[in-house]
Amino acid sequence: MGAYRHFPILMITVPLVCAVLLPFLGYLRERWVPRAALVPLSVSTLLGLLLVGKIPAQGYLSYHLGGWEPPFGIEIRVDYIGLFLLLVVCGISLLAMVFSPRYIGKEVSGGRLTAYYVLFLLMSGAMLGFVATGDVFNLFVFMEILALTSYALVAITGNRNAVRAAFKYLLMGAPSSIMVLLAIGLLYSATGSLNMADLSARIAESGYTEVLVVSFILFVIGFGVKAALFPLHMWLPDAHSIAPSPISAMLSGLLVEVSAFALLRLTFSVFTAGNDAIIGGTSEAVSVFAAAAVLYGGIMAIMQKDLKVMIAYSTISHIGYIFLGITSFTKEGLAGAMYHMLDHGLAKACLFLCAGCIIYVKGYRRIEDLKGAWRQMPWTCFAFSVAAISVIGIPPTAGFISKFYLIYGNFTAERWPYALVLLVGAILAAVYCLRVIYYMFFQPDKRGAWEEGGGDAPASMLAPVCLLAAGTLFFGVFSGLIIDSLLKAAAFLL
Amino acid sequence: MRLLHNYHYAAAMLLFCIGLYTVIARRNIIKKLIGLNIMETSVFFFYISLGYLDGGIAPIRTGGADPARMVNPIPQALILTGIVVAVSVTALALSLVILLYRQYGTLDVDRLYRDEDGGTHGGPSGEDAP
Amino acid sequence: MKNLLALLFIIALAALLLYVAANMPPMGDPDNPTATHVIPRYLEGAEKETHTENVITGIILNYRGYDTMGEVTVIFSALAAVLAVLGRERRGRIHAYVDRSTVPSSVIVRTMVRFLVPLIVLFSVYTILHGEISPGGGFQGGAIIGGSMIVFTTIFGLYESSRRIPQKVRFPLEGSAVVTFFLVGVLGMVGGGNFLTYAWPRVAAGLQPALVTWLTVLVEIGIGLGGAMVLTSILFCMIREEEEIAVVA
Repeated sequence: MGAYRHFPILMITVPLVCAVLLPFLGYLRERWVPRAALVPLSVSTLLGLLLVGKIPAQGYLSYHLGGWEPPFGIEIRVDYIGLFLLLVVCGISLLAMVFSPRYIGKEVSGGRLTAYYVLFLLMSGAMLGFVATGDVFNLFVFMEILALTSYALVAITGNRNAVRAAFKYLLMGAPSSIMVLLAIGLLYSATGSLNMADLSARIAESGYTEVLVVSFILFVIGFGVKAALFPLHMWLPDAHSIAPSPISAMLSGLLVEVSAFALLRLTFSVFTAGNDAIIGGTSEAVSVFAAAAVLYGGIMAIMQKDLKVMIAYSTISHIGYIFLGITSFTKEGLAGAMYHMLDHGLAKACLFLCAGCIIYVKGYRRIEDLKGAWRQMPWTCFAFSVAAISVIGIPPTAGFISKFYLIYGNFTAERWPYALVLLVGAILAAVYCLRVIYYMFFQPDKRGAWEEGGGDAPASMLAPVCLLAAGTLFFGVFSGLIIDSLLKAAAFLL
Repeated sequence: MRLLHNYHYAAAMLLFCIGLYTVIARRNIIKKLIGLNIMETSVFFFYISLGYLDGGIAPIRTGGADPARMVNPIPQALILTGIVVAVSVTALALSLVILLYRQYGTLDVDRLYRDEDGGTHGGPSGEDAP
Repeated sequence: MKNLLALLFIIALAALLLYVAANMPPMGDPDNPTATHVIPRYLEGAEKETHTENVITGIILNYRGYDTMGEVTVIFSALAAVLAVLGRERRGRIHAYVDRSTVPSSVIVRTMVRFLVPLIVLFSVYTILHGEISPGGGFQGGAIIGGSMIVFTTIFGLYESSRRIPQKVRFPLEGSAVVTFFLVGVLGMVGGGNFLTYAWPRVAAGLQPALVTWLTVLVEIGIGLGGAMVLTSILFCMIREEEEIAVVA
């Protein structure tokens, strides 16, 4: 055991503690805050990258906080899938943070600037903690940090629609958190333990099946709201479209994925996949809702006039994809769901940041206004198109790989209707994405709203956008290595 | 009949449902927040009941108390965290209510969300800055 | 119609939850999973392992200290969130609202509050420092200080109470809980253990009990101060907003 065993905990706590120290810097030199906020995220990313290849042979890295072995103390458990998601979280948060200063400087008034960066760092740190933890109650604690910071970040502009959207989000999010707390209580009452690994052993020999079934249902409802699973999605279109664009990217690209991942972990590591008596019926219901989500999200996205609302509805559709992958209970489906978390994160973050660039430069939000936009903003439009192609799932991009595995997984599980739904979802995505691309590149700019050489977004905003777009291409072309280890990790979970 | 024996749990569950109903059905947002707090309190009550032991004593070792008779301390420790979380969420929710009331002049959800239709959520950003 | 649907949903949920309550382990039975699995070690070993006679404090600060670190981060995020939504109060502007939040109160009330608030604060100090041997702890003490500030502010108004705990005192102390936890955690790593190890393996075994006790008290003080300052700041922030509404109206 080298020093690297401490890396996960440092990855989590460094952003949190820097968030607490940031107000002091804000008091002394407010101008330095945006740059200083990059430091902890870079440290976390670096530590995460150093961890690659250091996962021990048993398949996970276990870290006992305070030196108390589980189930007596809290455990941090990083397996291949967890490390993968940790790196995704670090990377996208870092890029969204790089994007932030110019955009936020325009949308958020002076006194709240420091608060924005504090909340952003708290959110990133909490997401890392949420992914890495091996204890169900600890999961709840980090979920609450995430929830609180995301409510506040949606409302940070102080604009009346934003406050309203944040309050709607809170009114759905807070009861769902309490449901998760109740579910944890039920789980604890039937097993007497809170550690995930210990729980799965105790559940196998527990006689209280009814309690466990309802506990699982409550977990699904609770995390379903956080992940915006179809009938519980009402908060998402408002919150994701009204929040400042970097925050939309974080919420849409990471927060919903991370919540889905929590449910994945609970399903596979706690309630265990084979346990039909407990999770059978509920996971069937989740598949149906997920299929409905794919179709509903796609159709609603086609009907939207506002670019950010369209992207938000597309997120609802893609959450359905992830859940259909999880509920297929095959290693291909699971690997596809995990890979979809990566490429959906990259693509959605890219789309929202592109929308942010357009709002920053022109203030346009409606899709109709984008006619001929490439003449003024070629880089933004190209990045947008690449990400949109990944959302559709056309070959050279990462979206193709994940959708392929998702459909393949559903085929091997002999779930023909769901595989068909996934295909239809891709067609719907093609409709709403290609429409925007068509407007951007092939429609004449009749009103003369876009001037050639009028200037694209500033470099600090274009760089993260282009990196994200390049990322979707890179992970589409060089997917082999990651997919292989994900398949291995998925086989380990099943 | 186990339900009569577990009446603490039953009461907590009923309170939970009453709270959730208040959150869903009430139109006044302050009442919704009260419902939220009822839900939270019911879960705290549930946890503390989980730790109950017939004839148990407080889990404090001072004076050489017998560990075998102590109630379960874990739910109490967890619920301290739960209470802090509840306070934090309530504080944020009330700040949002303050802001909403200042901007819309109403606490009624139906009037707050009246002009919101399916298609065009929100205007251009910054349009309605206070 | 909408309410009827909600009612039906709630009745279904209530039936489900009551069914669970009827199938849960019997309450208070010493053979329950909750009473037999993890806690025997806590109840038997807390005194020797965490050097706290109050087992709950041992769990909160030591066995599950990481949860508590998350918890103090939650309360700090609540402050950051409230400040992000409402903005921090500015010193100069408070003067305009002197005594606006004061409810009309008689001399008796004012005198009693003046007399009681110091005693309440004294009690909270006791609660914080005695957390490991009696009921109490950092959060409880911090909450008591916050409560005393609510009482004081209700009677004397924001101007008076924000002079008692001015912003330049609150501002540096708001994050003290998280920072203390982080420092103790990192010291545990430097001392040869894991994050948040209180009994450093590199220290002689004879010194460890004293070390654990002092670190526990340090963390309690950090939590108490941080909690109290955060609650007070949130309170002041909200009162200021209320007053601005009153002025606008």
